[in-house]
Amino acid sequence: MLKIKELQASIGEAQILKGLNLTINPGEVHAIMGPNGSGKSTLASVLAGREDYEVNGGGVQFNGEDLLEMDATERARSGLFLAFQYPVEIPGVSNINFMRAAVNGKREHQGLEPIKGKEFLDMVKEKAKLVELDGRLRNRSVNEGFSGGEKKRNEIFQMAMLEPNLAILDETDSGLDIDALRIVSEGVNAMRSPERSFLVITHYQRLLEYIVPDFVHVLVDGRIVRSGGKELALELEEKGYDWIKEDAVA
Amino acid sequence: MRDLSKPQVMDRPRKSTQNSKAQEAGRKWVEQLEKQLEAATSQFDEALATLPVPHRRVERWKYTPVNGWWRAIGKRAQITAKQAGCEPCPIPGLDAYRLVFVNGEFDAEASDLPVYPGIVCSPLSLVPQTDQAPRGSNSLEQEDWFAALNGKFAKEGLFLRIGDGISLDRPLLVHHHSTGEGCAAFLRHDIEIGVNAEIKLIHWSTASQPSRGVVNISTKATVGSNGRFQLDKVQDEEGHIQHMAFEEIQQAQDSRVDVYTMTIRGQWVRNDASFRLDGKGAHAELNGIYLPDNTEFVDNHTTVDHRAAHCTSSEHYKGILYGKSTGVFNGKVFVRPDAQQTNAYQQNANILVSDQATMNAKPELEIYADDVKCSHGCTIGQFDEEALFYAQSRGVGVDAAKAMLVHAFIDEILDGVAVHEVRLEVNHRLAEKHQWTEWSDHLE
Ligand SMILES: Nc1ncnc2c1ncn2[C@@H]1O[C@H](COP(=O)(O)OP(=O)(O)O)[C@@H](O)[C@H]1O
Ligand SMILES: [Mg+2]
Repeated sequence: MLKIKELQASIGEAQILKGLNLTINPGEVHAIMGPNGSGKSTLASVLAGREDYEVNGGGVQFNGEDLLEMDATERARSGLFLAFQYPVEIPGVSNINFMRAAVNGKREHQGLEPIKGKEFLDMVKEKAKLVELDGRLRNRSVNEGFSGGEKKRNEIFQMAMLEPNLAILDETDSGLDIDALRIVSEGVNAMRSPERSFLVITHYQRLLEYIVPDFVHVLVDGRIVRSGGKELALELEEKGYDWIKEDAVA
Repeated sequence: MRDLSKPQVMDRPRKSTQNSKAQEAGRKWVEQLEKQLEAATSQFDEALATLPVPHRRVERWKYTPVNGWWRAIGKRAQITAKQAGCEPCPIPGLDAYRLVFVNGEFDAEASDLPVYPGIVCSPLSLVPQTDQAPRGSNSLEQEDWFAALNGKFAKEGLFLRIGDGISLDRPLLVHHHSTGEGCAAFLRHDIEIGVNAEIKLIHWSTASQPSRGVVNISTKATVGSNGRFQLDKVQDEEGHIQHMAFEEIQQAQDSRVDVYTMTIRGQWVRNDASFRLDGKGAHAELNGIYLPDNTEFVDNHTTVDHRAAHCTSSEHYKGILYGKSTGVFNGKVFVRPDAQQTNAYQQNANILVSDQATMNAKPELEIYADDVKCSHGCTIGQFDEEALFYAQSRGVGVDAAKAMLVHAFIDEILDGVAVHEVRLEVNHRLAEKHQWTEWSDHLE
């Protein structure tokens, strides 16, 4: 599904990703952990197609296609989804109209007619249940005045609406209390399937108790320095990142 | 401090601001016009000779280049809407009375005047000058060269009297269309709205492609106490037109006036809206949008003159500038010593879509009363890149995402437009001009 090879990326003068390798197969859940500033969000942004970053080495294949050749819209329409660490507020655009444009964009890509009003509203109702997003939040402007937890739930709602092949969750757990964490995780787990893959980015292993990964990778200074099973997360929790950093240098 | 007991506009032009080149061009302009049009009066001849013909150093015209437009004037084609292939009512589905003018002349056949008790509505040319509002009573006419030009040449327009307590059952549309080469059209709308009376008026200006000429429209309205006046003003002129519009509105106690100025298309547009709040408790609402592209130029000058206590005014203009277009906003708010408990709000927000577009914005507040609430703000920015990326990351195309942000920006204004069909048609024409179909479709 996703093959990242020796990926290097910079922003401004700063080289952030320094040769990153990662392969994700259909149905797998991968977790990326790492200290603040190690390049986790950079990786997510580069994959989603944010143009502020310059890719200056390596490549990415997504479902057999060259991901880096596509713009952000095309990537999304081909089935890639990014749940933002900091979801964006768009005053004046209702959440529901926003999602309708998104769903129709994807349908256009699939050669389908725009979705019918009723079908769309039924779908909204069904998916909103998944993350307990009430009607009030659906009709308000996108993320405007949402609490931290509401924003993250809205991200998962959008993911559910778009049914991606690969979902990247960038610190979806940050700023969540234990209830919200449970709701968001259950939403994600309900979407796990043999065809759908996840890349879960997190700083803490707490989230991984709820969304249990198949693989855990540790990102330090723009490179994956260690990979393992879910036990690796626990080991990190116990020993902290310094242990791995020293290990990586050695 | 100035003597505020006398009527005045804030920057009374002085003789020293005359520029000999501009004066000479102005003289030629008048000469050219005299060949095409019979003057309505000679009472402005002296004013036209002595008022400074606008140029860069005249404050009110600092960012508004008028050079060369007089060359556009030649012979006026006498033509009806039908002959010009112009739809008398440009707004589909609108049920309204209408007056249609083509190249400054009334087109009776294309018009549909209200016959309604308590209302006098007719083309101005059919009303004896003695019954019209006296020329020169409009203060702009004494101060501004172009307004004086209207005073001299305008013979046609809307004459409207709404009796006390009367409200017209449908909106009234005034449609002006320009066509051909070299036409100069002067219109003068003379409106009195009685005590407790009400009217929804639509000013819609169009021009065919190609066309070349000047349009100069002056609207003077007085609104009686507790009266209500709603004006939706739409400018959608193709071709090459210099469009100048003056509004001077006087409000009595507890009256309410809403003016929406929507500039869709226009090579050169100057709006000059001036409100005088004479009676206690009056409210003025002035809103506008402008979305120029290519080399289009749009200028909105506004003046709100608070002269009585407990009045409120709310002003909100929003612009999106594409291509190499230029926008100007100048908002004056004037609070006189007696106008205690005034609440005046002004906001001008702009998005520059292209780095070759220019916006000149200037709020001017002069406050001479102490117990007042005045706020103003002005922003000039770009599209919100974060929001664009967010939308794209959800699979929304970049053009649709931009259209979405544009709507989010201007709908706040359009939502208040008096006549629903006008709002829909403005939306439709903007979508057509800027090719927004993808996002607009979602709204219907
Ligand atoms: N616009 C920028 N210009 C320069 N450096 C940046 C910019 N954005 C992020 N960085 C740097 O890139 C590094 C990686 O950031 P990020 O990917 O957000 O890390 P993480 O998500 O792992 O905390 C950090 O050192 C950060 O300071
Ligand atoms: Mg991050």
